[in-house]
Amino acid sequence: MALLELDRVSVSFAGLNALTDVSFGLEAGQIRAVIGPNGAGKSTLFNAVTGYIPVRAGAVRFAGQNVLGMPPHRISALGMRRTFQNGGAFSSMTVLENVLAGLSLQTASSVTGLLFGLPGARAAERRALDRAHELLGLMDITDLADRKTADLSSGQQRIVEITRALAAKADLLLLDEPAVGLTASERDHLVRVLRGLAADGIAVLLVEHTIDLVMSVSDRIAVLNYGQLIADGKPEDIRSHPAVLEAYLGKH
Amino acid sequence: MPKRLAVLVLAIALAALPLATNDYVQYVLNLILVYGLAAVGFNLVLGYLGQLAFANTAFFGIGAYALGILMEAGLSFWAALLPAGLAGALAGLVVGLPALRLKGYYLAIVTLAFGELMRWGYIHMDAYTHGSSGLGVAAPSLGSLPLDSQAQRYYLILAVAALVVWGVFNLLRSRIGRAWVAIRENESAAASLGYWPARYKVAAFVASGFVTGIAGALFAMLIGRIAPDSFGLNQLLLQFAVVMIGGMSSIWGSILGAALLTATPELLRNFPGAEEIIFSLMLMAVLRFMPRGLAGVLAVRLPMLRERLYRS
Repeated sequence: MALLELDRVSVSFAGLNALTDVSFGLEAGQIRAVIGPNGAGKSTLFNAVTGYIPVRAGAVRFAGQNVLGMPPHRISALGMRRTFQNGGAFSSMTVLENVLAGLSLQTASSVTGLLFGLPGARAAERRALDRAHELLGLMDITDLADRKTADLSSGQQRIVEITRALAAKADLLLLDEPAVGLTASERDHLVRVLRGLAADGIAVLLVEHTIDLVMSVSDRIAVLNYGQLIADGKPEDIRSHPAVLEAYLGKH
Repeated sequence: MPKRLAVLVLAIALAALPLATNDYVQYVLNLILVYGLAAVGFNLVLGYLGQLAFANTAFFGIGAYALGILMEAGLSFWAALLPAGLAGALAGLVVGLPALRLKGYYLAIVTLAFGELMRWGYIHMDAYTHGSSGLGVAAPSLGSLPLDSQAQRYYLILAVAALVVWGVFNLLRSRIGRAWVAIRENESAAASLGYWPARYKVAAFVASGFVTGIAGALFAMLIGRIAPDSFGLNQLLLQFAVVMIGGMSSIWGSILGAALLTATPELLRNFPGAEEIIFSLMLMAVLRFMPRGLAGVLAVRLPMLRERLYRS
């Protein structure tokens, strides 16, 4: 069974169909990209799957559970984590604090424990801190730990956001245009990170405009146009798919 | 451990302070502690959670009246103090729930109205509050020893305020403090990490209500008589100014702000007629030269007191 399953998902805004009958699945350890022209419904798809906008019809199953109608924080708690197109890193926090914010619910202690600084709560906080440093190391941003996030380049901020999303044990990561504003070396770094995640069994759903990156990193690609899935397949199939060439790649 | 040393030096200095004061100066210091604690409570919602809510005077007044009413009903100060804080926390819950649906100026006006409604309540529920004539608050006692000198009250206020501020620091360094700042910065992103924004917002109002309620109770004990006029817009403006001058999202800033805004009018009493002018000029100068408030200067001058989640 697929980790994530979209079954004829439809979303409409004020009577206009933003997504119509979109279906596809995603396995653990798989990287799937969603591409399509501007306004094709890619971000709408992300927002629908993660609980930020209501779905009119269809079903979204994550690890066998129907997540439609759940609020974002509950969907997140199931192990589905996302990033945001316009940057969701907490800008006044340091990089370390951002990552801690991503994993502190994993080491939840009682409010009494937190209020009085009881040993259990302190130990949990230390474990979170160790784990945060470990994650910074894995993502190769240890030297940024105490920098204020607002002071970083937009590429670095995206890496911080991805690190934060990964902090709690995510099984599925949804990345909304993670390569925007990245330098070539940051982009290489991102590709290495994505491949590493997949190797660890984490599924990645990716909205991305950078076609080279999408083609090189994806196992499967879904193509949206006017809210409809017009193609779904391996990168090499998508490259030569007539409907895709017409709707999207043909313009390049 | 420069931070531990700094805290130790501060603790000794605070403990020895009454040796160097007279009754009047000591009273002003007591007032500073009370307003500092009220500003810490205000700052939780205003600075850390980033919500423009103005119910702080209501929390302050509710804590003060709860203490006064409970003591008049026969409870000791010690037995009435925690319930007074809890009354403030309950008021925080009442304000926090509508705050989930309102933002910005709308929240500001609704919370202002709540404060004025409470003031109307103090005036008209005179069976409990004695209305406009005010409610007397007896001096607390320790066993058979009445704590009626300013120095004795200082130690009492200092102990309670230190305990509450310590709890606030603990909350701020935990997931709860991070959640508040995360929600302030980007509510959608906070939810995507598993935080239920509504829950943490209400928690901030409840914590704010508790801290400010305790401050109100200490105020009632210190002043000895409370009246509805103590909890009006003047009080709100003063507490708002303390947070702003002290610095948003800084606990030490709020306490320093209280010191500046409480002590200056007292020092200026020697210049009748000019005090308001000097006071206003001083406030303008602070905001002109210290745009992040006193906390911004503190962060540069005393980096060992660096606070979590405060950014200059």
